[in-house]
Amino acid sequence: MLSIKNLRASIHGKEILKGINLEVKAGEVHAIMGPNGSGKSTLASVLAGKEGYDVTSGEVIYKGKNLFDYSPEDRAREGIFLAFQYPVEIPGVSTTNFLKTAINEKRKYLGQQPLSSVDFLKMLKAKAKFVELDTEMTSRAVNVGFSGGEKKRNEIFQLAMMNPDLSILDETDSGLDIDALRIVAEGVNKLKTKDNAFVIITHYQRLLNYIVPDYVHVLSDGQIVTSGGKELALKLEELGYDWVEDLADAK
Amino acid sequence: MGDKCGAHTFPYFDISNSTATVEHEATTSKISEEIMFYCKSRGISQEDAVALIVNGYAKEVLNQLPMEFAVEAQKLLAISLEGSVG
Repeated sequence: MLSIKNLRASIHGKEILKGINLEVKAGEVHAIMGPNGSGKSTLASVLAGKEGYDVTSGEVIYKGKNLFDYSPEDRAREGIFLAFQYPVEIPGVSTTNFLKTAINEKRKYLGQQPLSSVDFLKMLKAKAKFVELDTEMTSRAVNVGFSGGEKKRNEIFQLAMMNPDLSILDETDSGLDIDALRIVAEGVNKLKTKDNAFVIITHYQRLLNYIVPDYVHVLSDGQIVTSGGKELALKLEELGYDWVEDLADAK
Repeated sequence: MGDKCGAHTFPYFDISNSTATVEHEATTSKISEEIMFYCKSRGISQEDAVALIVNGYAKEVLNQLPMEFAVEAQKLLAISLEGSVG
């Protein structure tokens, strides 16, 4: 589904990603871990198409096509979803209205008829229940006045509504209490199918107690220094990121 | 009028309501890039994002208008947003 080859990217002339290689297939859950400043969020931003990053070399193939040929909105319509580390607030725009616009733009892009209000509301209620979100929240302006945990839960709710093929969760677990963490993790576990894929970016191992990844990659100074199964996350938790830096130095 | 002239406006407000969000017509306020990228990352085009946000901003006032004005105002808003960015 996603194939990243020797990806290098910089911001304001400073190289952050220094040759990333990653293969993600349908049905897989990948965790990307690493210390602060290792390039985790940059990778998520580059994949979603955030402005300000220069891809200097390498390629990203998504569903057989060059990802960088798509605008950020077309990437979303093609099935990529980024759950934000810091979801933004949009005053005056209800989550319902926001999602209805998003879903119908995606449907239009795919040559489908827009959803009727009745069908949309049915889906909204079903998905809200799915991620244990109070439907009252959906009538409020997007993320305005939400607590940190509510914002993250709203991201997972949007993920459920958009039904993406490739979901990238950028430190969705940061700032979550244990109950919210569980709900986010359960949401992901329920949404996981053999046809979609998840890339979960996290600083801490604790999210991976709830979401069991197929692969764990450790990012350090813009490169994946080691990859392995879920046991790698435990080893990392035990040995700390110093061990990673030693690995990076050895490389 | 030639290139030797300019327009200078001095936006000034005296506001006693601490909860107000106000923009002066003589200033152009830009929807933040953060919000714009958030909308795009959900598949919403720049134009539709602007329409959503500006309508959301004006909605509370428009809702207070009598029906015939409200419809007119919404149409005007839609026209003036076409192709305008930032």
